[in-house]
Amino acid sequence: MINPEAASPIDLPSGITLYPSHDEAIDRILNELQERCPAEFILLAEVSGQILSVIGERTTVDLAALGSLVAGDLAASQEIARLTAQYENYQLILREGPKSNTFISEAGAHLVLFVRVSKEIPLGWARMLIHETSRQLAEIIATQPEDLGKLDLGLSEEKLSSLVNDDLDSIWKG
Amino acid sequence: MHINWQLRELNLKIVYYGPALSGKTTNLEQIYTRVDATHRSELISLKTHEDRTLFFDFLQLELGKINNLLPKIHLYTVPGQSYYEASRKLVLRGADGVVFVADSAPECADSNLRAWQDMETHLASYNIAMGQIPIVLQCNKQDLYNALSPAQIGYLLHADLLPSLPAIANQGNGVFDTLKTITRNVITQIQHQSAIA
Repeated sequence: MINPEAASPIDLPSGITLYPSHDEAIDRILNELQERCPAEFILLAEVSGQILSVIGERTTVDLAALGSLVAGDLAASQEIARLTAQYENYQLILREGPKSNTFISEAGAHLVLFVRVSKEIPLGWARMLIHETSRQLAEIIATQPEDLGKLDLGLSEEKLSSLVNDDLDSIWKG
Repeated sequence: MHINWQLRELNLKIVYYGPALSGKTTNLEQIYTRVDATHRSELISLKTHEDRTLFFDFLQLELGKINNLLPKIHLYTVPGQSYYEASRKLVLRGADGVVFVADSAPECADSNLRAWQDMETHLASYNIAMGQIPIVLQCNKQDLYNALSPAQIGYLLHADLLPSLPAIANQGNGVFDTLKTITRNVITQIQHQSAIA
């Protein structure tokens, strides 16, 4: 997995980089949440809507679209809280449905967690676990893996932008 | 931008910004129509009852594997109406590149400039100065009999040095070239940052 010859990982001012150890820790934490809650469906996205992880019953829902809407929902809610001077970290949005309840939770500055649980699960129990999970996720992302090593994503490829453009050509029907 | 080393995914966010009715949503609709369905998500549009963008439009493009790298491009539009300034700022969060869709009608010169300055302010609120993020200027509605040229619009926005492209988005003209240009510039920027990291 780790290639010592390759370029060092990028650390850009915006966005996040997920290392393999982050992925493993995220999977473990989300699986725990799913079992303890129990949750029917969990989606973890970056705050701009890019999906990081999905666990549970997959329906025909368009996950990319869901990720963007979840991120938009949280962003709007955060801004409403700021405007009304009610903002605090780890905002949580609850939506009560006929069979399930859904929670959208801020998990630190970079992540947003979407969790669907059955109506039979007490709201307080779900809320407590989701808060706990959100804090754990935020801590994981804030941690640099001890042994970063050197990872290569092929970004040093000189012709990368041309190759991406060629690929765009291939999916364009005109 | 989000990189997932495990899945070897490179996720990019490109935002279409510009004044009201300049053609931002039209760009995404054209891309949606013209990209193979297996390589795109559904087009999500959060609209008002009057069919105007309320929060954002969203479309994801998935490219094939390139050197073991899976690029995904997330396209967003902002609502153009002045009322939705707060929403525009939120949509810009985390953007890797911006397409500024200008209306080429001479009477829209002021609204183009206001939107441009508004974008500058919002980017600054995220500590991004102009020049630190790839921006492509798309001069839409070039089919108008009195359309300003891309050079004129670039001059009016003090954006002469940025790549600018003519477009007639509702016919699909210039839409793909714009997408390719911003994608290329974003990738180049990421490679540059990667090299100096």
